[in-house]
Amino acid sequence: METMTLLMHGFAVALTPESIMFAIIGAILGTLIGALPGLGPANGVAILIPLAFSLGLSATSSLILLTSVYAGAMYGGRISSILLNIPGDEPAMMTCLDGYPMALKGKAAEALAISAIASFIGSFIATVGLVILAPILAKFALKFGPSEYFALFVLAFATLGGVTGKNQFKTIMAAALGLMIATVGIDISTGVQRYTFNMLELFEGVDFIIAIVGLFAISELFFFIERHAGDGLKQVAINKLKLTAADIIRVLPASVRGGLLGFVAGVLPGAGASLGSFISYSLEKKISDKGEFGKGDPRGVAAPESGNNGAASGALVPMLTLGVPGSGTTAVLLAMLISLNISPGPMLFQQNADLVWGVIAAMFVGNLVLLLLNIPMIGIFVKLLSIPPKYLMPVVTLIASVGIYAVSHSAIDLYFMVAFGVLGYILRKVDIPLVPVILGMLLGPEMEKNLRHALVLSDGDWSVLFNSGLSITLWTISVLGLVLPIVVGPIIRSKMSKSKEV
Amino acid sequence: MRINDRVFGMLMLILAVAYGWEATQFPIPFGGNESVGPETFPIMLSIILAISSIYLIVKPDPDEKWAPVPMLLQLLSVAVALLIFAWAIEPVGFIPSAALVVSFISWRMGATVKHSVMTGIVSSIVIFFLFNYVLELALPLGILEL
Repeated sequence: METMTLLMHGFAVALTPESIMFAIIGAILGTLIGALPGLGPANGVAILIPLAFSLGLSATSSLILLTSVYAGAMYGGRISSILLNIPGDEPAMMTCLDGYPMALKGKAAEALAISAIASFIGSFIATVGLVILAPILAKFALKFGPSEYFALFVLAFATLGGVTGKNQFKTIMAAALGLMIATVGIDISTGVQRYTFNMLELFEGVDFIIAIVGLFAISELFFFIERHAGDGLKQVAINKLKLTAADIIRVLPASVRGGLLGFVAGVLPGAGASLGSFISYSLEKKISDKGEFGKGDPRGVAAPESGNNGAASGALVPMLTLGVPGSGTTAVLLAMLISLNISPGPMLFQQNADLVWGVIAAMFVGNLVLLLLNIPMIGIFVKLLSIPPKYLMPVVTLIASVGIYAVSHSAIDLYFMVAFGVLGYILRKVDIPLVPVILGMLLGPEMEKNLRHALVLSDGDWSVLFNSGLSITLWTISVLGLVLPIVVGPIIRSKMSKSKEV
Repeated sequence: MRINDRVFGMLMLILAVAYGWEATQFPIPFGGNESVGPETFPIMLSIILAISSIYLIVKPDPDEKWAPVPMLLQLLSVAVALLIFAWAIEPVGFIPSAALVVSFISWRMGATVKHSVMTGIVSSIVIFFLFNYVLELALPLGILEL
């Protein structure tokens, strides 16, 4: 019952006119950014962090704004899946399977509306799950000491590739690069300069917000130019919406199942949203054998879409309670928390209870706002999407750079941004994933701090890292997380691509 | 062809060695050496990076195709344009430098000269006013300052 009281406090924060305004602005901006092919949720939140930061919004307001952007971007991603057959991000891949055929049959508006409803149900179920599970996990996490935390960070990296990860060594390499960037600057505990080359700008280390915008948004610009994608793609025209209550009831069971499965996949380390939407889709296909899956069955839109959104909210559970994000977008949300001087983890629920519950309540409000906005306003979003990228991308790049510039009013930050853009382009060309790099930069300082604490307490005895049952469990999961994908990964990947072909 | 991973692995191996060597050269912190110092974590990282680079050199993945040279030059020109924008934003001012860089990128992405110049001018003016007057974040006026 304590949880209910806290949640009610949260709603008191989330339902002030100011908060609702930020939720609406965030939802609209998020949908727009998520809908741009290739930009996706992680980019959307990344571009807007420096803006929220330099506007001097309060922690609660900026969190509400950015969680709505996050939710909105997840919604927006499906617009390009359905109308263009191009997933905005990887988890949206399964939505293309039945969404695009539906659009081809002249039912684009219905597909969009069904996916909006399914997304809402998925997020709603997962947010309820978050309310129940997060406080329990936070209490449990209080038992963690420095060596357990160190093992937990290792686990975060080991499972990041997920069971569908391709080359584990490349994930490790990316994580090492990110952690190495994080060591640049003055060492907090001894004051020793590390890798600063006596440049004043490097004394405080490399700002991860700049790195995120560079690695994601600027490298995306380069890829757009390289692919000659400036003209945009032909999208399916949108029809007038004819959705009856019976249609909605027909997809309800699929949405509920998808949301539950997605939530579980989102909470578990290494599963993530891609697997969440994949499992939901395949389960739905098995249960209802009479459907025409792959040819535009509404349930084939509802299940993965609700699974995807369920997983996205589920991923917030480990992020908020342990400070360990499980996906690219939650990593970006973690970046936002750290830059607002809020350190996630078990203490967050005790020290900043108002803020956490405010944000959770804001997720409920944000999702409702999105549902209400999306059905009537879908036409406007689709119109904006038909602006070719050759006009849109330069302007988005400009906004991203202005955001970076506005934080510190220094041109040097912009030089760094471009450099990270080039680095991101090269890394993507050699197939090194970018998310572990970001995660390394984010978790590096904490990871090193915990390692040093553990070793100082044990007077340099390294066995301290493996001396409790809990840390041994964490290490075991990490090893499994690294080894399993090599064994199981190819099987699941071939299944996923098979269901895409059918 | 499996050149990409080999070359990249090589570069990363060099980075790992340089990074690890640099870590051993850190000055001894005030208060003398302890069991763990500022160099412990970096040395661990350099070992991890070295191992994964060696794996990449020994077992490279198939290459993704690189863009042809003219395209790479074009990408370079866009990166340089962004750098020039960063340099010019204070002395020249936001509106002219943003208008130039947006027009250039838009033109490189395949818009006609007329349309890209229009996109550049309109977007830079709109963003300038939005930031200065609605969001109240001062952007430099530069040469337009009277």
